[in-house]
Amino acid sequence: MKNDAPANVLEILAYIIAAQIRDHSIVYVGTGLPMVAGILARNTHAPNVTMVYESGGQDPLPGDMPWSVGGPFTWRKSPMIQEMPYSFGQVYNGYVDIAFLGFAQVDMYGNVNTHMIGDDFHKPKARLTGSGGNNDLTSLAENMVIVGLQTPDKFPEKVDFITSVGHLTGGNSRKEAGLLGNGPIAVISQCGVFDFEPVTKRMRVKTLHPGMTFEVAQACTGFELLKPEGEIPMTPMPSPEVISILRTKVDPRGVFTSFPPA
Amino acid sequence: MAIFDYNKEALANLKIEDTSILDRLVDFETARKVHLSKERAKKDKRISLKEAVAEFVSDGDVVLDTGFGYVRTCIQSHFEIMRQKKKNLQMIGAPNTNQSYMSFAGCVYYSHSSYTGAEMRGTDKNYKRMMLQGRLKVVSEWSHGGVGQGLKAAQLGCPGVLSKQMLASDIVKYNPYLKVIQNPIKQDPDPAVFIPALYPDIVFIHAQVADKYGNAWLYGPTVNDVAGAAASKKVVITAEEIVPELDIRYNRKGTIIPFFYADAVVELPYGALPGSMPGCYYWPRQWWEKLMRLGGSSDENMGKFLDEWVFGTKDQIEFVEKLGGAKWMIEARRQTKAAEGDNEDIDFAYQEYRVDNDPGIYY
Repeated sequence: MKNDAPANVLEILAYIIAAQIRDHSIVYVGTGLPMVAGILARNTHAPNVTMVYESGGQDPLPGDMPWSVGGPFTWRKSPMIQEMPYSFGQVYNGYVDIAFLGFAQVDMYGNVNTHMIGDDFHKPKARLTGSGGNNDLTSLAENMVIVGLQTPDKFPEKVDFITSVGHLTGGNSRKEAGLLGNGPIAVISQCGVFDFEPVTKRMRVKTLHPGMTFEVAQACTGFELLKPEGEIPMTPMPSPEVISILRTKVDPRGVFTSFPPA
Repeated sequence: MAIFDYNKEALANLKIEDTSILDRLVDFETARKVHLSKERAKKDKRISLKEAVAEFVSDGDVVLDTGFGYVRTCIQSHFEIMRQKKKNLQMIGAPNTNQSYMSFAGCVYYSHSSYTGAEMRGTDKNYKRMMLQGRLKVVSEWSHGGVGQGLKAAQLGCPGVLSKQMLASDIVKYNPYLKVIQNPIKQDPDPAVFIPALYPDIVFIHAQVADKYGNAWLYGPTVNDVAGAAASKKVVITAEEIVPELDIRYNRKGTIIPFFYADAVVELPYGALPGSMPGCYYWPRQWWEKLMRLGGSSDENMGKFLDEWVFGTKDQIEFVEKLGGAKWMIEARRQTKAAEGDNEDIDFAYQEYRVDNDPGIYY
């Protein structure tokens, strides 16, 4: 890919996810865009970030882009590799600041479905992966960020199966159900960045990407989006320097950031 | 008479009437008896993979998947289970990626499900077809961490653990083993999920190195294997290399599975194929793409795929030949050593598998 071409949607997403990562934090990442974002953050504003993966790899030396969270690049010369339950135990015990996960469906309260599409468990329209570590991280992490493409089907009012609890039914319901952490703090899609209104815990537009309007974002959503007061800010876009780092250092072969995907 | 009091909502949701099929996974008493009656002598336990599967896998067993789906996973042992046409197996693992094609082969009927697929290599469409055709029945839904905690509880030697994982999700409504209870030491409401200790019937663990007694050294992510070895009633160690016991004692710092868990030891170089083996070989990525994209597309294609790769090979040596033989072996070792930082960096670019452009050699 030419280094001076404008950023594509996946590169923009990677940048926005990376922007959520603070320097010196411990970040739990899944494969795909979150991993690209973690590595981008480390190559830009957060050089001291520590990455943790669910297969148990943590704090690896930099390397190529892994296609599996169990791949060697997630534990390349790691000082130690955790057994899987201990890796999640670190999240429970407060050693992880933020986690990034994908979804097949996400609802107005940030509940996530990666199990199935349809209303009959035994006769699904589509059977998906199941939880993997999605539920574990969502149940335990101090801060969760949910990342994926937005369509009305993928953003329904109610998910077909609650794989992972976000803000459950809103208000204090997550806490009352006994779950830890703040739950989802952001949803990042090709339309914009969403947060959750503090009282109702319903999904709310935080910023919109350039060229996007509230109406278009709403049209991509299966429930009523909340609108913040005043004008909706535009999502900050990556500078040419950041895009160049992404293309030359982070994902030079465009494994996760070519668009359309390879 | 039912021995266990399962989560009734989950039984109803999963349409399980005969709960006796669920008992063996949480049957601690039997597991303890089996462990007490195991051979204590430190003796040479080496047998062939064929013998190990024939002797130790019984129809109806709960099989624990090991490694990380396609990382140090005992996939060649799965293939031998398929060749020997074991029936009515239950399968659990985190991940449990390999249940899908084992169901197609008629081996796995009961699925304890936590993750099915191959991450970036594509979606597994076969699993749904198996469900719809009544060839696979999900009997419990889990998160990875939930399975891990259940196995760890067994290793810790306790009846179960209280977890915050899976709480308030639909997973709890689709898992008969889980119950939401109040944390007994808190005065305020504090719900938690009780996860019982899990005792699979049989586990195959593929190690880089083992001795003939069954001491097995694991390198790279161990995932749930140490707990799974401690919990399972029958343990078969397969290994890339069999070394003298002194090599384990002096040189193999890190994770060891002790010999007295092991019922059998199988020398099985390339036993993790088509998965990767840390320190030894990288994945044939195109093979997984072919499985997902071609095999996953229809029953007919899956049948052809398994006929070619599983039933059409008699062992892992023939499997290596089909992947690309010596050329493949050399590249796979180069890739894994570079990926792990033991060799100089290389270019990991490759041509993804396309149905209309089969590469012949599967890197």
